[in-house]
Formats: sequence, C-alpha cells, structure tokens
Amino acid sequence: MFGIKPQLFHLKRITMKRLIYPVAAITMIIASAFTVIRSQDWKIGDDYSVKFTSDDPSGVFKGLKGTISFDDKNLASSKFDVSVDVASINTGNGMKNTHAKSEKWLDADKFPLIKFTSSAITSTSSGYEAKGILDFHGVQKEITIPFTFQNNVFSGSFSVNRLDYNINTSEPAHGASELKVDITVPVSK
Amino acid sequence: MFKKIFFHGLAAALLAAIAAIIYNRIYFFAFEANFSKLVNVPVLIAINLLGCLLAAFVYWGLKKWLGARAEIIFNFSFAIISFASITIPLAAKLPLDVQNPELFPGLTVPMHFFPALAWFTLNPLFKVE
Repeated sequence: MFGIKPQLFHLKRITMKRLIYPVAAITMIIASAFTVIRSQDWKIGDDYSVKFTSDDPSGVFKGLKGTISFDDKNLASSKFDVSVDVASINTGNGMKNTHAKSEKWLDADKFPLIKFTSSAITSTSSGYEAKGILDFHGVQKEITIPFTFQNNVFSGSFSVNRLDYNINTSEPAHGASELKVDITVPVSK
Repeated sequence: MFKKIFFHGLAAALLAAIAAIIYNRIYFFAFEANFSKLVNVPVLIAINLLGCLLAAFVYWGLKKWLGARAEIIFNFSFAIISFASITIPLAAKLPLDVQNPELFPGLTVPMHFFPALAWFTLNPLFKVE
C-alpha cells in the first residue's frame, strides 16, 4: 500500500516531462498569432537639417518633432509622423524672417506647424519613397518624398510650390514659388 | 599735414574700436545673442582701422584739393556715408547656423556711427590749418 503512491507520483512526473515541450510549442504558436510585428522606433538626433532653397528665399526650419518608425525589412508597418515649427524659420535675415512668419506669408500664429504623415512607404531602385499628407498653411496635399536611409541617417529631397498651399497667392511673382526642400535626419535607437 | 591727419585716423580707429568692443559685450549680456562668429574683437579692430584710415586718406585728399572748405564737406560726407552704410547689416544674409538674425542690426547699426563719432570727438586735438 505504501509502495503504490511513489509509483503514481513518478508516473505523473514522466507524463508532465513528456508534455512540457509540446505544450510550450503550442503556446508559442498560439501567442504568435496575436503578435503585431512592429517597426523600429527611431529617436531624432539634434543635428538634423530641414533646408529649403530657391532663388529667393532660402533658409532652414528648426523644431523637428514626431515619431519615426522605420524598418527596411518591414516597410508595411513603417511610418513617419513629423512636424516642424513654422516660427523657427531662419532665412539668415531678421527682416525676412519677420515677413515669412507674417499673415501674408506662412502665418505662423494661425498655422504653427508644418506636418507630414506618411500613409505608405515603399522601396525603390534608389532607396525608398514615403507617400503621405503634407499639412502646410492649412492645406493638406498628398506628396511623395523619395529618401535614403544609410548609416542611421535619413536623407530626402522634394519640391513644394507655395501657390499650391495658398501662400501669398496674390503675389505669385514675389520671390520664388517653387522651393526645393532637403531633409537630413540622423537618428538613433 | 599728412602725419597729423594719419594720427587723427589712427586715434579715431582706436577709440571707435574700444567703443565697439564694449558695446558688443553689453549687447551680448543684454540679449544673449551670440554673433561672435561674425562680430569679434579682431574684426572690430580691423574694420574700425580700415574705416578711419580710409577717412584720413580722403580728408587729406580733400584738404589738398579744397583747402579750408574741406572740413565741412568731409564731415558732412562722413555722416551721410555712415548713415547710408546701415543698409548693409539690415540687408545682410547671415550664415544659417547663426541664431536670431533679427538681433543683428541692433548690434551692428550703432557701430556704423562709431568711426564718425570718434573722428568728430578727436577733431579739436588734430586741427589742421
């Protein structure tokens, strides 16, 4: 009578040992079905540059903020949601900065941010392309930004026509209407 | 005559440079605007030397050419040129890494009058007959 109990206990232990691996495997398979594959989130480095150039004016924006989720192996879940501070515009000339921020031009009080939110990021022969909405001066317009990602630095260039964003449309010949925007953003994990 | 005018220019340059260096320091502490990349001690000394010595050469030329009338014409021209020159810092495009370019004219516009002010201040000491 006393010898039966240890035998039963031993049998239970053997059965549990045999089951532990199949149970773990099943658990992992089930759990994986609920796992969302997320892209890598990147932190924006301080020495970024958001530069615009034309015959007149040229300058930079500061105050780049937002989230950058990017994984070159998982572009479907990659996303840019970034903004720059309009009031941070620097053309190198104080009077031009004041004019640029005024109601007649960028109207920094009413539209304090220029935002870009990507809707799709795809791979191209030269790098990548981010398609999304540029929210600038109260106008939302879909644009495509070609960019590269090398050595933890995002680099992209695109053109913006200020008239498309209702910026001083009454004076289309005052300064350039087409501006080239060059963005360089070093990032870290 | 040239020696006296030359030393007038040199003394005016020194006085203007000292005033500019002091004003530059006061402006930096008052507004915390750092334009040291563009406006610093060597630049201030060089520009004031250049301006005042150039003025000395012009004054010497005018003195030789116009005699007694040279002084009033020179003084008038020096004041007008100093005033006109303030358009330079107002229109200047600074390097894009320099912050607050709005404060740059506040620093440099008064400095454009320092050479003329120094010249006129020292004028009684360097009178040329």
